Amino acid sequence: MNIEEPERQETLLDTISLYLHIPFCHAKCHYCDFNSYAGMLGLREQYVAALLDEIALAGERTRLPDGSPRRCRTIFFGGGTPSLLTAEQVAAILAASRAAFALDAEAEITLEANPGTLEYGHLDELYAAGVNRLSMGAQSFDAGLLRWMGRIHTPAEIETAFAAGRAAGFEQINLDFIYALPGQSLATWRETLTKAIALAPDHLSLYSLIVEEGTPLNTWVQQGRVRPADEDTAADMYELAEQMLADAGYGHYEISNWARAGHECQHNLTYWHNLPYLGLGAGAHGWYGAHRYSEARPIRDYIARVRETVRSAKTGDQTTALPALPAAAVVEDEAISHTLEMSETAFVGLRLSEGIDRRAFAARFGQDFEQVFGPRLTAVRAAGLLDESATHVRLSERGRLLGNEVFTCLLLEDEEAGATA
Amino acid sequence: MDQSHIRNFCIIAHIDHGKSTLADRLLEYTGTISKREMAEQVLDQMDLEREKGITIKAQAVRMRYTAKDGKDYELNLIDTPGHVDFSYEVSRSLAACEGALLVVDATQGIEAQTLANLYLAVEADLAIIPVINKIDLPSAEPEKVAKEIEDVIGLPGEEVVLASAKEGIGTQDILEAVVRQVPPPRGSTSNTLRALVFDSKYDAYKGVIAYVRVMDGTISRNDRIRMMQTESTTDVLEVGYFSPTLVAVNQLTAGEVGYIATGWKTVKDCQVGDTVTLSAAPATEPLAGYRPAKPMVYAGIFPIEGDDYPLLRDALDRLKLNDASLVYEPESSVALGFGFRCGFLGLLHMEIIQERLEREYGLDILMTAPSVEYRITRTNGETLFIHNPAELPPPTEIEQIEEPMMDISIFTPARYIGTIMDLVASHRGVFRDMKYIEEDRVHLTYRMPLGEMIVDFYDQLKSRTQGYASLDYTFADYEPSKLVKLDILVNGQSVDALSMMIHQDKAQSQGRALTERLKELIPRQLFEVPIQAAIGSHIIARETVKAMRKNVLAKCYGGDITRKRKLLEKQKEGKKRMKRVGSVEIPQEAFMAILSLGGE
Repeated sequence: MNIEEPERQETLLDTISLYLHIPFCHAKCHYCDFNSYAGMLGLREQYVAALLDEIALAGERTRLPDGSPRRCRTIFFGGGTPSLLTAEQVAAILAASRAAFALDAEAEITLEANPGTLEYGHLDELYAAGVNRLSMGAQSFDAGLLRWMGRIHTPAEIETAFAAGRAAGFEQINLDFIYALPGQSLATWRETLTKAIALAPDHLSLYSLIVEEGTPLNTWVQQGRVRPADEDTAADMYELAEQMLADAGYGHYEISNWARAGHECQHNLTYWHNLPYLGLGAGAHGWYGAHRYSEARPIRDYIARVRETVRSAKTGDQTTALPALPAAAVVEDEAISHTLEMSETAFVGLRLSEGIDRRAFAARFGQDFEQVFGPRLTAVRAAGLLDESATHVRLSERGRLLGNEVFTCLLLEDEEAGATA
Repeated sequence: MDQSHIRNFCIIAHIDHGKSTLADRLLEYTGTISKREMAEQVLDQMDLEREKGITIKAQAVRMRYTAKDGKDYELNLIDTPGHVDFSYEVSRSLAACEGALLVVDATQGIEAQTLANLYLAVEADLAIIPVINKIDLPSAEPEKVAKEIEDVIGLPGEEVVLASAKEGIGTQDILEAVVRQVPPPRGSTSNTLRALVFDSKYDAYKGVIAYVRVMDGTISRNDRIRMMQTESTTDVLEVGYFSPTLVAVNQLTAGEVGYIATGWKTVKDCQVGDTVTLSAAPATEPLAGYRPAKPMVYAGIFPIEGDDYPLLRDALDRLKLNDASLVYEPESSVALGFGFRCGFLGLLHMEIIQERLEREYGLDILMTAPSVEYRITRTNGETLFIHNPAELPPPTEIEQIEEPMMDISIFTPARYIGTIMDLVASHRGVFRDMKYIEEDRVHLTYRMPLGEMIVDFYDQLKSRTQGYASLDYTFADYEPSKLVKLDILVNGQSVDALSMMIHQDKAQSQGRALTERLKELIPRQLFEVPIQAAIGSHIIARETVKAMRKNVLAKCYGGDITRKRKLLEKQKEGKKRMKRVGSVEIPQEAFMAILSLGGE
């Protein structure tokens, strides 16, 4: 599989992807711990204004040494529910992004949408504004499970919204589904997959339910009202999906992601190749200039911080001499060492079915994958979790379901890697 | 001071019956210590003691009291350990006294432990002063408790002192009773020196400090002394008494209680029950009652990280400085690597050592399930004692196995007799006697193997009787028993640290229960892991931990790689806390699984 060819990964280290967080929702789902808020739509305009300012600032701060804007390959509107933005707002954000960065003409521009919030006209406008990929949170085709999750849409609305997307001109549509839900049977899951395949989406993301702290779901589990699906059921569901989607002609290019050839999500590949991306917006995460950072989560806090940063940038009274990070509302900042970057590149890279390209790894880090990690992989190799060739290291079929067993072996302590270096 | 003005006494009480509070009131009333200086409970100085509400080390304090007769008295209060694990230490403390306050809670009545210690006191010929405490509580029934004391112990009800240590009621009455009823010490200052060591502790500046009661003669600073049992000698650095801090004096004479600073580096030189005499003019006979510390319960202690072995050894060495009853020797386990086989006076003692190693020395340790000491007679007639199942000779070489038996005594409300009978029977206990001490209270006695008691008996007894039953036990004898060694094989490999001695009639059911429990405790690994219970080469139970199928993080929302990495780091840390046996990772709890099997 040559997803990223002909461009070499190492040349892409000078480009960025752009993640824009839209934290609004009509209702908060019971399992969700993302940075999203219901009942705050009144702040939408102020928020978009702040986001526009932040995009402009980020463009300034990421200019190339010759002063030209940095190349941007993909844009992803994530949420929350980005489909709660008006088409005008999306258009304004994209215009700001084009002004701030050198956006590829063919750039993948994805917008996440809730099937319950979509309208025909709106979709046409979004497409006209430049969005060329839709990612819909379908989650399930079982009405009972959708209600249980606190979703605001019905199974029928998934089909309507999907058809509307196609009608609006979208040639790339992803559907998200969640499995291993409490009480979900293998039969229900099969039915959901069958219906999903029948719609012929270009891309599918299947996520195993995670009980996150601070969610209503977690409370229910703690109280014993809900029992999460066991490991075997979850594994059975995963294997069923692998089988059915392979039969339907989808490539399994990442642990949780399937696509028709050529429709792999370029934005997500940025993450798996551990390439730089700017996260802008409330609670967004970014990876740029050997730093990982995250932004203020509360909407009002985010807006206030952006305003303050923009004001100081204009008047020149900067407290710090050089802004280390492109974002304007950073609350967490972690410098990533060379060693840590190797670990992260290795464990995110192994999520891809193409695996880690040994040549690309060596070119990026000046060290051989085998030399750095080989000695730590004895047990997982013996257990058959890896599938290795002269050019690549991949997870085996079994290894995909046991990725963490391999990934934990890839976490280096700084001194160890120093010794290997 | 003139011997006729000295009174040496101790307090016997059940946990929570108010011994420490009462001691505080006596110290306050006599002006030994002001209220301001009073830490919550002066006599219990160790943190662990405060937490557990029990006394581990004996303490002694001297009080001055002007009695109603107008004369000044020197009252020495010796605080005694309150747990059955330390009954030998209790007996030595009692031997240093002429009287005892028997403190009974007005709402609870007499408990097994109180009675056991009371018998020790009666045996030691002490004058007993019954005190009914907590009479201020609404549920107090002093008349009923007084009658119980009269029935059970034969002490006349009218001699009982009614008190509330919390409210300060009855404090003076108690002190007057001590002066009137406790006989003054006998013993001549002109005889050769004999002083009884009833406790000792290590002090960084003065070396080992021996807590002594001088029985005969006089001891002064710079005397050269000799311990009649351990035969250690030293020059006395200092003598003095406790007030409750150390107060140096020139000499201690017959009848007095105080301390000797010995300069020794370890309490091993100066054991509880030993007799101090002068090197130059030694006594001919030591004081009666000395017994070297004898561990009853054994367990392996292993560092979680093998590198910590030297630290563990240092920590045990240091605990040993202050605890002559702790014994240990290096042990090497196939499963757990290098560690120590430790002997304890009982389960509480074991728990205390474990907690001190963790808290005071910051060690991550793993303890194996406790065992007792078995007496093995070989076919060649040779006998040996083993306290580690792994040391059992091959079955063909064993003529007989004997196990330690205990006489146990239980006080309980009558409504629990049935449940206790069941519990005891399931622990191979044999009924001896049952006495009604009043309409609703029964005293039960049994003979039971110690090996059955150390697992979960006490916890079960407490939970099945809602905490109402109290327990005491003493070693009775070794008796032959049909014991077998139950081995546990994990992934086909015998894990020595999980082996246990068990009665053959229970082997099948326990083997099954243990493999089931281990199946729950051992997490799924990358491969299928069989868990088998075996006696010799005969497999009696088998469970399988299925191979792990799914362990992978699903999503990476908005590129939050940091969070992903942190989750992975957490998983990695979790693995580090497990012990790797062969290629299987076993969590610590698995090694104590035998303790959590529950009832039958």
